[in-house]
Parts: sequence; structure tokens; C-alpha cells
Amino acid sequence: MSDIAQVRFRSATEETPLARRALIAVAVLGLGILVAAPLIVVFAEALAQGWAAAVASLGNRDALSAIRLTLTIAGISVPLTAGFGIAAAWFITKFDFRGKAFLITLIDLPFSVSPVVAGLCIVLMFGTNSLVGGWLVASGYPIVFALPGIVLATMFVTFPFVARELIPVMIEQGRAEEEAALTLGASGWRVFWTVTLPNIRWALLYGVLLCNARAMGEFGAVAVVSGKIRGQTATMPITIEMFYNEYLSVAAFSLAAVLTLLALVTLLLKTALEIRHADQLAALHP
Amino acid sequence: MGRPLVHRSPMPGLGLSMGITLTMLSLVVLLPIGALLLKGASYGIEGIWETVNRERVWAALFLSFRLSLFAAVFNLIFGVLLAWVLVRYRFPGRRILDASVDLPFALPTAVAGIALTALYAPNGAFGSLAASIGWKIAYSQWGILLALVFVGLPFVTRTVQPVVEEIEREVEEASATLGATRLHTLRHVIAPMLAPAALTGFALALARAVGEYGSVIFIAGNIPLVTEIAPLLIVIQLEEFNYDAAAAIGIAMLLISFAMLLVINLIQVWSRRRIGYV
Repeated sequence: MSDIAQVRFRSATEETPLARRALIAVAVLGLGILVAAPLIVVFAEALAQGWAAAVASLGNRDALSAIRLTLTIAGISVPLTAGFGIAAAWFITKFDFRGKAFLITLIDLPFSVSPVVAGLCIVLMFGTNSLVGGWLVASGYPIVFALPGIVLATMFVTFPFVARELIPVMIEQGRAEEEAALTLGASGWRVFWTVTLPNIRWALLYGVLLCNARAMGEFGAVAVVSGKIRGQTATMPITIEMFYNEYLSVAAFSLAAVLTLLALVTLLLKTALEIRHADQLAALHP
Repeated sequence: MGRPLVHRSPMPGLGLSMGITLTMLSLVVLLPIGALLLKGASYGIEGIWETVNRERVWAALFLSFRLSLFAAVFNLIFGVLLAWVLVRYRFPGRRILDASVDLPFALPTAVAGIALTALYAPNGAFGSLAASIGWKIAYSQWGILLALVFVGLPFVTRTVQPVVEEIEREVEEASATLGATRLHTLRHVIAPMLAPAALTGFALALARAVGEYGSVIFIAGNIPLVTEIAPLLIVIQLEEFNYDAAAAIGIAMLLISFAMLLVINLIQVWSRRRIGYV
């Protein structure tokens, strides 16, 4: 009797316990080596000479100006990209027009262009030897090797982020609520602020988070357009490279640790959003 | 044409949203890409060919695309496995594992580059282990492969995961009642359902790896003909103010990437039609 009770049946739609454990082990080991280990190394190297040295290296003039520049760039480019994302999502989901699929492909284009090539494009467009760039430099508004160029490069690589998050959510929600508000006499802006925005706010926040993480961390495109002028156009990732190449390991990894913390906070917020507002973000994962 | 360009709609804000969309898209993306293509057109196909057809450029292009392909294949296999484990199994730490998949998206590439180099350099934690069996990872093509695997890691998992969630158990049960072994069911029932999403993730990981610069240059060693990737070659040309050569290599990269994406899209259309699963 007791023998029978102890037999454990395995559902026909499950793997054997051994296979299951082996797969979990491979997943944990793989992510441990590929993701967790580099994460630990950043902090270990930053604190290799103790907290004091790490904190002191962040007070360095170059490090401080890099942090200021990166915050400035994110502060300009992220709201612009978010504004574009909202406008593009509104245009694409609230109206029917020819060439919609083509427009979406164009918006996604930056994903398949190398950041270095993106930077190259901006240099060719606005560099001193180009038509537009030459005229702008002559009138005292240089783009390349200056702040506007870095903002443009950052916007290029982060361009699709917000639009991509908003479009599926707004398609899912349809137009009925906005149409109802319009028939009740609300103005266009009122419909947007009181009907659309509350419906898309979590998806918007989600897109802005990803966009911001990428904007603060962008390296390839910025390396090309910034000219890497110390104290002027060197962003945080560029300054990390400078410190690293000068064998200032603690300084490089301390600055890297700040960006890593930002990445971890981004992931934490993103996971929290996915758990708490799963219903509204559901359209993101068709 | 019978169909109007834009259908009439009671929705407000057509002009404003269309204006912002098209203006910003042109200014930030289309005009700069146009400037690159215009530059290419100005010295013609022969000019581009002359620049690209040099040993160093071929070596860099071949290296970039070959290692990107290897990295994307690894990510395809590991990504599907990861998606399966994360959706189907319940074990402690699953949430953390799930969240950690996205780290390569959120971590700046320069940070990933110096961290991987510190780990896999001959005096690093993993690098010294590998060195003891005579395996050099950092400053060799293995290092580049590692960095490309890292940056492409999330794509396949994130495209396949929702599809695994959607699979109805009844399909697997039906297969089992018809006498299929579990392995048989996985191969002939589950795998075809995951294929289109996995291919999408594969294409995204491939595109990302081909263009990757930040994480690779730290770990690569950057020796011409051996560990010099194509994006680095563009940067080198730009630093020497050799805009023509930089533009030629950039156009070559764009063309090869688009050709690859086109092929993958065609395979996807074909596999969807063959399997009849959308």
C-alpha cells in the first residue's frame, strides 16, 4: 500500500526532473558567468583601494565635468525623444494613411545602424567640410565636436525607444475613449491630457527609462562626434575610456560603478513596472 | 488613385503630430543617413570598391560579420533555453534571473567592455584560469566573441519568452497521447512554434553585434588583420580625417547588414508559411 502511495507521476508535458535541473543549472551558470561576474568585477575594481579612494576619484575635475555633461545631454535628448515618441505614436495610431508600415520601418532604422556609422553620418552632415556644417561653424554654431552634435548622436541611437513602447499600447487601446471625449466637447489637448496620457503613462515611463539608460551610456556614436575633448565634450563613458587607457583603474571603475548603479536602478524600476502594471504593458509583448 | 493619402478622421492633432514626427525623423535620422549615401554616391561604386578592396578592410569586415554570426548563433541556442527555463520552471531566484537578462541592455557598453576585460585578461579572475590551460581569451578573437555574446544576450530570450507563455498545454498533451516521447514533442511540436520569434531575436542580436563598438575595443587588442573590427576601422579613418574612406566602409557595412536582415526576413516569411503559425 505505502509503496503505491510513494510512486510519483510525471506529467506527460514535463521534462524529467534530471533534465529540468540540468537546464536550470545551465541557465544560472550561463547568466552567472556572462552577467553577474562582470557586475561584481565593476564594484570590486572600484573599491580595490577602499571607499575613500573610489569617492575621491569621483571628485576629480574631469570626472565631475563628465557627470555634468552626461546629465545635460540626457536632460536635453530624453525629453525630445519622448516628445517625438508621443507625437509619432499619436500620428501612427490615431490616423489611417498610406505608407504607415514604411514609416514604422524608418523609425526603427537606428536599431540596425551601427552607432559608429550613426556618428559618421552626423559628422558628414554637420562637420566643418560639409555644406551645412561649414556655414554653421562660420556663423558660430559648431555642431560636431560640441554639445549639439553629442545630443544629435544620442538622439539618433535612442530614437525608436519611446515610440516603440507606445505604439503597441495605443493600438491595443484603440480610439473609442478619445472619440467619446471629443463628442462630449473636449478640446484636442484636453483629450490628450485627461484621456490618452493616463492610459499610456506607464508605457511612457517604461520607454523613457530605457531611453535614458541608453542615452547616458552611449559610447560609439558619441566617441565619433564628440572629438573627446577633456573637460568639454568627454561624457561619462568617454571619460571611463580615458581613465582606463591612462591606467587609472580605480577612477575608471568608480565612474563605471556610478553608471552600473544607474543601470541597476533602471532594471529595478522596470521590473517593478512590469509586475505592478502588467495589464497596461501587456501589449508590449504580443 | 482612389484611396486618399490620409483618411479623414475626427481625431485632432493631425498636422501637429505629423509635423513633429516627420521633421524630427528627417533631422535626426534621415538627413544624416542621406549625407552618408550622398557622400558614397559622389565617388561612385568604383570609388567605394577601391577603398573597401584592401586586405585590412576585408579582414575587418570578415571578422565583424563572422564573429557576429557565431555570437548570434550562441545567443539563439542559449536564449531559447533561457526563455524556456524562465517560463516553465519555478525555482528560487527566478525573478532575479529574469531581471538580470536585461542587464546588457541597461549597462553602458564601455562599462561592459572594461569589466569583461578585467575578468578575462591574463591576470583577471577567469582569464588566469583560462591562461593556466593555455587559452587566451582577452586580446584575442575569443574576447571579441565574448563581448558580442554579452551585448546580444537579451534579444532572443525577450522575443521567445512571450511565445512560450502562449503555448497551450493541450498541444503537448495531444502529442503525448499520440505516443510521442517528450524529446519528440519538443522537436516537432514546440520548436516549430518558437522558430519565427527565435529568428526575429537572432536577427536583432546579429544586427546589434555587427555594429557593436564600445564593449569590443577594450577586450579586442585591436591588432590590424587579426582583432580589428569594422566599426573600429571607421573610427581610425575618421581620426585621420580620412572622411572618404570612413564613408566607404560605413556604406559597405550598411549594405551588408541590410542584405543580411533581408535574407533573415525572407527565411522568416518562408518558415511562417511552411509551419502555418503566425
